Amino acid sequence: MQTSSSSKPRLDWAAIAIWSIATLITATFCIILLDILWHGLGQISWEFLITAPANAGRDGGINSILVSTGLILLVCLSVSIPLGVGTAIFLAEFARNNPRFSRWVRRSLDSLAGVPSIVFGLFGYAFFVQRLGLGFSILSGGLTLACMVLPILIRSAEEGFRAVPDGYRLGAASLGLSRWGTLWQVLLPSALPGLVVGLVLGIGRAMAETAALIFTSGYVDRMPGSLWDSGRSLSIHIFDLSMNVPGGEQQAYGSALVLILLLVVINSLASWIARRYRLGQQGR
Amino acid sequence: MRRNLLLGAGLLGLVLTACAPGSSADQKLTLTGSSTVAPLIGEIAKRYEAENPGVRIDVQTGGSSRGLADASQGLADIGMISRGLKAEETDEFQGFVIAKDGIGLIVHADNPVATIRDDQVVDIFTGQINAWQALGGSQAPITVVNKAEGRSTLELFLKYFELENSQVQADVIIGDNQQGIKTVAGNPDALGYVSIGAAEYDIAQGSPIKLLPVDGVAATTNAVQDGSFPLSRPLTLVVTEPPTGLAEDFINFAQSEQVHDIVRAQNFVPVNASLAQAKQETEPAATAN
Repeated sequence: MQTSSSSKPRLDWAAIAIWSIATLITATFCIILLDILWHGLGQISWEFLITAPANAGRDGGINSILVSTGLILLVCLSVSIPLGVGTAIFLAEFARNNPRFSRWVRRSLDSLAGVPSIVFGLFGYAFFVQRLGLGFSILSGGLTLACMVLPILIRSAEEGFRAVPDGYRLGAASLGLSRWGTLWQVLLPSALPGLVVGLVLGIGRAMAETAALIFTSGYVDRMPGSLWDSGRSLSIHIFDLSMNVPGGEQQAYGSALVLILLLVVINSLASWIARRYRLGQQGR
Repeated sequence: MRRNLLLGAGLLGLVLTACAPGSSADQKLTLTGSSTVAPLIGEIAKRYEAENPGVRIDVQTGGSSRGLADASQGLADIGMISRGLKAEETDEFQGFVIAKDGIGLIVHADNPVATIRDDQVVDIFTGQINAWQALGGSQAPITVVNKAEGRSTLELFLKYFELENSQVQADVIIGDNQQGIKTVAGNPDALGYVSIGAAEYDIAQGSPIKLLPVDGVAATTNAVQDGSFPLSRPLTLVVTEPPTGLAEDFINFAQSEQVHDIVRAQNFVPVNASLAQAKQETEPAATAN
C-alpha cells in the first residue's frame, strides 16, 4: 500500500512535467505568432505587396522581394525535386542489392542535413558564384538552396517509398507490370505522403534561409529582370530591416507576417495537390 | 527513373535558356561589404540609377571583411567598410570616405549633469555607479539605456569604452535611434547613446534631450565631420585600383552634396569630399582603429 501511495504522486508529477513542457512549447510559438500578428497586421495591405521598397526598406512595399523569393524557390525546387525523388527511388528501390553503397550515400546525406546553412552559403559563394561564374544571382541562390534542401527531401521521400508494403511490388510484378509502370502507377502514389512531407520541410527551410543566401542571391532589392540578377529574399529583407536599418521594425514585422502566410499557403497547397493526385490515381 | 532524370534535366535546361545571361543594363557596378553601409549605398545607388539610365548598381551585404575580400578578388568593383582603412591595408586598397557615423551620450534636457568622464561612463554601464548623485546630479537612480544586440552603434560604443556587452547592466534595451531618443526624452533619469545626427535632428524638433561631450569634445555633427569627435567612424568605399569610368563617377557621386540628404536620412553625417580625400591621403594611420 505504501509503495502505491508514494508512486502515485510521482506519476502525477511526470504528467504535469510533460504537460507543462508541451504547454510551454505551444505558448512560445503562440507568443511569437501573436507578436508578429499584432505588429504586422497593420502593415499588410495590397499596396504593401505591390509597391517597391524605398528608403532602405523603411517605406514602400515588398513587390520585388516577393518576386525574388518566388524565383529563388522555383529554381531550388525545379532542381531539387527531380534530383531528390530520383535519388530516393534509387536508394529505396534499386540499391537493395548494394547495401554498402546505399549506406554510404545515406550517411553522407545525413551529415549534409546537419551542416550549418552558412557552410552551404560559403560553398555556394565559392562554387556557383565564383567557380561557375553565375555571380550574385537568383540562380546561384536557388542552386545553393537546392543543395541544402536535397538531404531532407531525399531522406523523407525514401522513407515514403520504404513505407510502401512489399506486397504492392510483388502484386505489380505478378500482374506483369513493367518496372517503370510499377514505379509510376503503384509506388509513387503510395509514397506521396512522404514526398509531400519532405517537400514541405524543404520549402520551409528554403524560405526561412538567410545565411546561405546573403552570399549567393544577395541583397539587391530591385525587381529582378532575369535569373541572372541578384535578388533579395524575404528572409534577408526581414533580417536587414530588423538588424541594420534603424526604424525598419514595423516593415520587418509586416514582411515576417507575409512570410508566415506564404508558408501556410504553400504547405496547404502542397498537401491539397498531393491529395488530389492520389484521388486521381485511385480513380483510374 | 530515367524519365524523371530527363524531366529534371529538361526543366533545368528550360530555366537556363529562358533566362540567357547578358542583362539589359549596359553598365554594371557591384559593391559588397559592411551591413551598416549597405542600406545607405543602396539608396545612393537608386538615385544614381535614376539619373543615369542604363547603369545598374548591385549592392551586396555581408560585413566589412567581405567588402575587402571581394574587392581584393575582383568579385566586387568597390568594397564597403564601416571603418577607416588600417595602416597595413593602405598598400592594397584606396579608401574614399562617404559619410561618418558618430555616437553621442544623451540625457534629459532637465538633467543638471553637463559632462560624464569616460571612466564614469564605464562605471555607470557596468553598474558600479547607480545614482546621478555621484556625478553631481539628483538622488535618482540612473536608468541605463543600452542598444539591442547586433546594432553597429552598440559595437562602436562597446569598442570605444572597451566593454563587453555581457558586462553591461542595462535597465532598458532599445532598437533604433528614435526609440532611444524617445526613452530618454520621457525619463529625466535616463542615460543613453544614439547616433548624433538623429539626436541633433530631434533636438532641433524640440525633443527635451541634450547631447553630452565625450572626452571633452562636444557631440556635434561638425565635430564628427572634422574628425575631432572620438566616438565616431568613417564609412568608407574601398578599391584596389585607382577608380576609372563608372566606378570613379559613382564614388564622386556618393561623396557629392547631391546625396547629403540621403546620408542624413540614414542617420549618418555627410563629409566634405575633398576633406575626406585629403585626410585619407595625409594620415592613413589616423583613421585606423
